[in-house]
Amino acid sequence: MNSQAIPPLAPDAPTVLEMSNISKSFGAVTALVDVSIKLRQGEVLALVGDNGAGKSTLIKILSGFHQPDTGTIVSQGKEVRFASPRDARAQGIETVYQDLALIGDLSVFHNMFLGREYHKRFLGLNLLDNRKMREQAQLYLDTLGITIPSVNSTVDLLSGGQRQCIAVARSIYSSPKILVLDEPLAALGVRESAHVLGLIQNLRQQRQVSVILIVHNYNQIFEVCDRINFLHSGEVALDASTADTSEEELIRIVKSGLGSRAIDAAAAEVRPGLV
Amino acid sequence: MPPTETKPAKKTGVKVPHTMTERLLILLSRYREASIAVVAIVLVIYFQFGSDGGFLSPQFMSVVLRDTGRLGLIAAAEVMLMITGEIDLSLSAIFSIAPYVMALLSVTYGLPLAVGALIGVLIGILVGAINGIITVRFKVPSLITTVGMLFFLQGIVVSIYNSQPIVAPVEQPFNAIFGQSLYQPSDALLSWHGITAFTPFLWAVVLVLVLALVLARTTFGLHTIATGSNIIGAREIGVRTDRMKIYNFMIAGGFAAFAGIINTAQFTSADPQAGSPFLTLQAIAAAVIGGTSLLGGSGTVIGALIGAFVVASLNNGLVMIGAQATVSDIYLGAAIIAAMILSIQVDRLRTRRRV
Repeated sequence: MNSQAIPPLAPDAPTVLEMSNISKSFGAVTALVDVSIKLRQGEVLALVGDNGAGKSTLIKILSGFHQPDTGTIVSQGKEVRFASPRDARAQGIETVYQDLALIGDLSVFHNMFLGREYHKRFLGLNLLDNRKMREQAQLYLDTLGITIPSVNSTVDLLSGGQRQCIAVARSIYSSPKILVLDEPLAALGVRESAHVLGLIQNLRQQRQVSVILIVHNYNQIFEVCDRINFLHSGEVALDASTADTSEEELIRIVKSGLGSRAIDAAAAEVRPGLV
Repeated sequence: MPPTETKPAKKTGVKVPHTMTERLLILLSRYREASIAVVAIVLVIYFQFGSDGGFLSPQFMSVVLRDTGRLGLIAAAEVMLMITGEIDLSLSAIFSIAPYVMALLSVTYGLPLAVGALIGVLIGILVGAINGIITVRFKVPSLITTVGMLFFLQGIVVSIYNSQPIVAPVEQPFNAIFGQSLYQPSDALLSWHGITAFTPFLWAVVLVLVLALVLARTTFGLHTIATGSNIIGAREIGVRTDRMKIYNFMIAGGFAAFAGIINTAQFTSADPQAGSPFLTLQAIAAAVIGGTSLLGGSGTVIGALIGAFVVASLNNGLVMIGAQATVSDIYLGAAIIAAMILSIQVDRLRTRRRV
C-alpha cells in the first residue's frame, strides 16, 4: 500500500481539536515547549520523534492524565480543561496508552467496561451487570474479529498481542470522536498490525473519527496517516502532509535532526515553504 | 479493509506440562476459600478428638467464634486495604478508642450506648480517612502512617482516664443485639439465648458477606481491585485511585471500631488496652492464611473470615488439648509463612500457565 490508498480528506473538514502553545515541565526536565497541533475531522495524524521527544507527554495531556503548565485545548469548538482522564473520556477522547492501561487481575470484559460499567438494580442496590458486560464484550470482540480464549479470563493470562487488541477494542467501543493511540502496534505481529491498521481506516472512513497515532514504523505511517507532525526536543519541528512527503524524505529529515533549526533547514531543502 | 476479513490467529498460549504438585496448586488457586476451609475442618477434627469432644461444645465454640468474629471483622477490612496495595497497623488502637469513647460518653454525659457507638464508629471512619489522606497526599507508605497513628491513638486513649478501664453500663436491647451472651448451658442452642452466644460471629458473617458482595458485584469493588492491580493503568483509564484508597482506609477504620464496640458490649467493660497491636497482626495473619497476598490486586474477605477461624481455633484449641498457651504462636508463625509461600507459588504458576 502507498499514500494513494488513503482517500483525500474532505477539504471542508472542520477542525475538531486544537492544542495551542502547550508547555510542560516535570521539575527541572522540560518535556514540551510551546507545542501546537491541529486535528481535523476524519484526519489521521502521525506523531513521530525520537524517544523523549515529548510525544507521550503530549498525548497524556490530551487524555487528561497530565495537566499542561501553559497552553489551551479547544475540542469541538470550545475550550476544555481536563482534570483527569475521566473528563477527557466524557468529551469523546479515548486513549490507548503505551502501557495499555489494562488491569491484570480483572477479566477481559471488566477491563473493556472499566470506568463505564453497566449496572442493574437489585433490591435497590446498584450492582454490576456482569452478564450484560460479558455478552457485549464477546459480541464486540467478535465483530472486530479479535479472537481470545475467553472474555472471562483475566488479562494477565493473555499474550501481548491479545492485550493490545483488547486495549484498542476498548478505546473504540464508545465511538469516540478523537482516538489517540500510543504505539498501538508495538507488540503485534504482521497480521495483527494489518488488522489494527484496518480498524483505524475503517473508523476514519465510516465514522469520521479523528485519530492521533504514535508509530515508529514509517511504512505504517504512509499506509494510514494524512499528516505527520515530527516532534523534536519538545517542539513540533515538522508538519507535513503524507501526500506531499515521501518516506525517504521523512527519514532524511528525522535522521538529520539534531536541533530544530537543522530540521527547519532540512525541511526547507526538501520542500520549500513547508515549515 | 473491513475488519471482519482478517482474523488474527488464535493464540492458545504456552502449554506447560503439569506435575501432580502443579495440578494441586492450580486447584488451590481456583478454590482459595475452599482450600483454607479444608484446613479449618482438619483443624476442627484434630482438636475435637484431642479434646475428647469438648472443642465442638456450645460453650467452647462460643469462645472460638467470638474471637473469630472480632478477628474476622478486622481481617476482612484489612483484606480490602491489602487489595488496594496498602495496610493499616493502627486498627487495634481504633478497636480500643471507639468503645472507650462510647463508654466514657455514657458514664459522663449519660449518652445512650447506641449514640455513643455511632460516634465511636464515626471516629474509626475519621481516623481511617486521616490515615488514607496522609498516605495518598503526602505519599507516606501506609506502613509508616499507620504505625504513627497506632502510637498516637494509643497514647490518647490511655491518657484520657489514666489507663483505667471503664465499666460500661448495660442497656437493652443494645447489649443483646451487639454481643452480650445470654446463653446458659440449660438453653437450647437454637433459642434466642442460644443464638446470643454467637452474636459477634454472626455480625462478622453478615458484614463480611456485605464486603464480599461489594468486592465482586459493585463498581467500588472493581475499582478497588484495579487500584491495587495496576495503579498507573487504573489512573490512565480514569479510576480515582486516591479516593479508592482513602475509602478503603475508612472502611477499615469503621470495621475496627465496630469490632471494638461489639467486644465492649460483650464484656460490658471498655479497656483502653483492649486491642494490643498483636490483634492487628493476628488479623493480617488471618488474611494471609485466608489467601490474600500483600501484593495487591486480589484477595478474599471470606477467606479472611475462615482464616480468622483458623487463628482463633489454634489460639484456643491448643490450650484446650493441654498445650502451653505460647505454643500456638509457633504454629501461627509457621502457618503465616507457609500460606504466603503457597500464595505466591500459586500466583506464579497461574500466570506462567496462561490458560
